[in-house]
Amino acid sequence: MGFELNRFQGEVDEELVCPICSGVLEDPLQAPVCEHAFCKSCITEWISRQPTCPVDRQSVTSPQLRQVPRILRNLLSRLSINCDNAQYGCTRVLKLDSLSAHLEECEYNPKRPLPCEQGCGLIIPKDEFKDHNCVKELRALIHTQQQKMNEFQQEINEQRFLIAEQRREMQLLKDFMRAMRISNPSMRAIADAMERDEVLRWSNSLQRARVTRWGGMISTPDEILQRMIKRTLTEMGCPPHILDDLMENCHERRWPPGLCSLETRQNNRRQYENYVCKRVPGKQAVLVLYCDNAHMSEDMMVEPGLVMIFAHGIE
Amino acid sequence: MANIAAQRIKREFKEVIKSEEVAKCAIKVELVNDSYTELKGEIAGPPDTPYEGGTFILEIKVPETYPFNPPKVRFMTKIWHPNISSVTGAICLDILKDQWAAAMTLRTVLLSLQALLSAAEPDDPQDAVVAKQYRENLEMFQITARHWTNVYAGGPHVNSDCDDKIRRLVDMGIEEHQARAALSSYNWDLERATEQLFS
Ligand SMILES: [Zn+2]
Ligand SMILES: [Zn+2]
Ligand SMILES: [Zn+2]
Ligand SMILES: [Zn+2]
Repeated sequence: MGFELNRFQGEVDEELVCPICSGVLEDPLQAPVCEHAFCKSCITEWISRQPTCPVDRQSVTSPQLRQVPRILRNLLSRLSINCDNAQYGCTRVLKLDSLSAHLEECEYNPKRPLPCEQGCGLIIPKDEFKDHNCVKELRALIHTQQQKMNEFQQEINEQRFLIAEQRREMQLLKDFMRAMRISNPSMRAIADAMERDEVLRWSNSLQRARVTRWGGMISTPDEILQRMIKRTLTEMGCPPHILDDLMENCHERRWPPGLCSLETRQNNRRQYENYVCKRVPGKQAVLVLYCDNAHMSEDMMVEPGLVMIFAHGIE
Repeated sequence: MANIAAQRIKREFKEVIKSEEVAKCAIKVELVNDSYTELKGEIAGPPDTPYEGGTFILEIKVPETYPFNPPKVRFMTKIWHPNISSVTGAICLDILKDQWAAAMTLRTVLLSLQALLSAAEPDDPQDAVVAKQYRENLEMFQITARHWTNVYAGGPHVNSDCDDKIRRLVDMGIEEHQARAALSSYNWDLERATEQLFS
């Protein structure tokens, strides 16, 4: 809809008036043949009802509408108009083409968004300040946030359920593959690759650990200690197919030749620093996985890796 | 009322008031309420027609969607015309229906209605009885239209023959307008009008 005529200084030429709203043209467009000009919003609304020129009823469709000539746009932009907020006290008179820029910053705009300085700090339209109550606004805000949180919580629960379902399904698939690989050699290769990938992914998700005192190594951990470590490994997401083997390898009887006796351990002390170790959270223990330690010599590693338990000295 | 409709009507109202037709007393428009949703129009019966000398009042209702939809216009003054209902005052005129265009104004509407009084379109009737009379007995139509103009619109031509026949029916206890409508419909044949009224 165009600008009200009585907002302009001086006479406005009839040519600049929209025949539909009888205001001064806003974003004007013209019909192709007869060249009658209208506000964009006015003519769009009319054409949605009837594809004709509202003045002479010649057929016109939306895509046929075009820009008005530059001369007409220049005439429009030079008109002087008062501010939209004149009734709220703004006395500015502007050229039509700078009106929108002024409205952005007009101090008299009753809807100008301002931050509340009574405490809540919310951005609200100026004219709503008189009925504004920080506590009430914040309570409403908390309420909506609470609702959002509940929605998220529900979503999380649904996702968890979904993940559990998928885990179960994956377990079934793995069992299926395990059964298949016994009878089918190519399936065995795929299954092996998948298991290797799984270990690699798990290893990448773990934090590095540094052993400061290799001398604290416990080479013959007792049953209780072993059970504790095993539970922790399960909680860490250890792939089940290596869990038992890993736990077996926490005792010197299963360690590689370079570690299996006090004597060999003494001889290879200098190589300990080269191990890539992963943290076992909350425990004085590290994981030395085979996939992380391909650089170590043959007699210092076993598959799928070692669990080293210490009396102290882990960072 | 939507801004655009109010802005338009305010301006059109001024346009009519300033127009030369008002200067010649041919058309007139008045506000009925402050919100510009309802107006009262007035048109003078055109010269050399049975409506000459009469003043016809129109009810003009401006819809919320004006000017994208036409105003709703109806004759308040009773009139005998093929395109206007002699009972309700409803008008059959294309620009008030599917031929409306958003750039048309109250002034164009009033002038079009005046033109309709000058040139009836009996092939597109609103009142079938009047249209039939117009087609089959133009002289009788003109007598009737002039009589109605005299009685309801202040026209100058008194028709004592018509008045006498109506008086006869009124004496029999028939309401005056009902008597006039019946006589008008039966080409002022008193016998047939009586028959119809008492059947
Ligand atoms: Zn046009
Ligand atoms: Zn417009
Ligand atoms: Zn301003
Ligand atoms: Zn506040």
